[in-house]
Amino acid sequence: MGKQAASKAQAGAEGASRTRSAEARPVSPKLELVDSPKRTRILEGMLEAVGTGGYEATSVRTVLDRTGLYRQAFYDNFADKDACYLAALELGIARLEAAAARGAASEESWRGKLRGGLGALLDHLDAEPDLGRGVIVGVHSAGAKALERRAEAMKRAADFIDLARQGAGEPETPPSIAPEGIVAGIHAIVHSRLSTGASGGFRGLLPEFMYFAVLPYFGAEAASAEMQAARI
Amino acid sequence: MDSPQTSNPEAPLDRHELPRAYIIRSQRERMMEAMVRMSAAKGYEATTVADVIEYAGVSRDTFDEMFGSKEDCFLAAYDAVFDVLVAHVTAAFEAASGEPWPEKIAAGLGALVELLAMEADIARMAMVEATAVGDDARERYRAMFTRFTPFLEEGRTYSGQGEELPADTARFAVGGAASMIFDEVRAGRGPELKRILPDLVFAVLMPYLGSEGAEDEMRRVTREGG
Repeated sequence: MGKQAASKAQAGAEGASRTRSAEARPVSPKLELVDSPKRTRILEGMLEAVGTGGYEATSVRTVLDRTGLYRQAFYDNFADKDACYLAALELGIARLEAAAARGAASEESWRGKLRGGLGALLDHLDAEPDLGRGVIVGVHSAGAKALERRAEAMKRAADFIDLARQGAGEPETPPSIAPEGIVAGIHAIVHSRLSTGASGGFRGLLPEFMYFAVLPYFGAEAASAEMQAARI
Repeated sequence: MDSPQTSNPEAPLDRHELPRAYIIRSQRERMMEAMVRMSAAKGYEATTVADVIEYAGVSRDTFDEMFGSKEDCFLAAYDAVFDVLVAHVTAAFEAASGEPWPEKIAAGLGALVELLAMEADIARMAMVEATAVGDDARERYRAMFTRFTPFLEEGRTYSGQGEELPADTARFAVGGAASMIFDEVRAGRGPELKRILPDLVFAVLMPYLGSEGAEDEMRRVTREGG
């Protein structure tokens, strides 16, 4: 589910995570192929509930109340709250990645793609902060499997950023840890804002995010120029 | 109370004669330690007050007297753990005060990594469980970043870029390093945390110095470590 949304640029990292996520789900594979509207409503309700009330405070009941569905609809699709959240997390991550991929699609250069992709991601958080919080903050409370999904998504983002090495211009060659550090730092700023309940102003972070991402590959001058360009 | 035994500082003290304030402090500390150990072993959610009092060897009444809830106890333990981490890093940073800023950062990170590697339960609790607990704990997790900010902000002057650097540079740097530590601890590699010290040094210095400047310091740390 949702994996089809991943961008072409991230295709490299997809194979492994697909296999693992298929194993992790306790629901029968037959049901997974059906992208039923009820199932999607439950998943969205789960993310919103976690995004507004936190993971521990969210129960199957909370999700049903939000969606107006019966218990049966929930248990037809999911074994329990944890399994439902895991699927919801995957949906949430896939949507964030899809938004980024759409934002990047019309651009040619690495920097253009990064600006478009990051910008679209931040717009998505501005538009649906509760869903974003349900994914980015909620994942920390949902156990080891959820944290694995988080790590995989961050790896995909780092792989995309590291495409800068093959870019036009004269990229410097930062150590291999650089893209991971960039993703971790940007993630920390977003997580910190979401966890204090911020619901807006994410787009305004784009200039500094561009600075941090461009700096190790293209140097301070290019990074400053990029920061200025993104402010417009 | 004025028996000769208690007034003699050399004489072994009977537990019942310890000042009440001391007993309370040590009970409180035992429960906080129990919380660190249990939440590291089982995860915060699975840890119960019963686990904590059994490990600490205190009664439920004692727990209720000192903590309003399980979360309350966790937060108290978290604050205590964090004070230790900050004090340790501050001491290392200040001990290197004659050195250039990148080396002070490397010294502070080295001390942090050393302590976390030695104390696997503390690492697990401070880095992983704390983000799982709830809004109050997350607020503290944020606040902990702020306590490291002054060390980092010297980098603005050192790099000569001052206010030209993005406003969130310190948060980017600390957050990035914290996230890398988080990943190691989550994956059970906490005890080998020293291995990623060069990476952490790079991640913290890079936003201030760019790739080349950060890599120089990273190489220096790698040489010294090896």
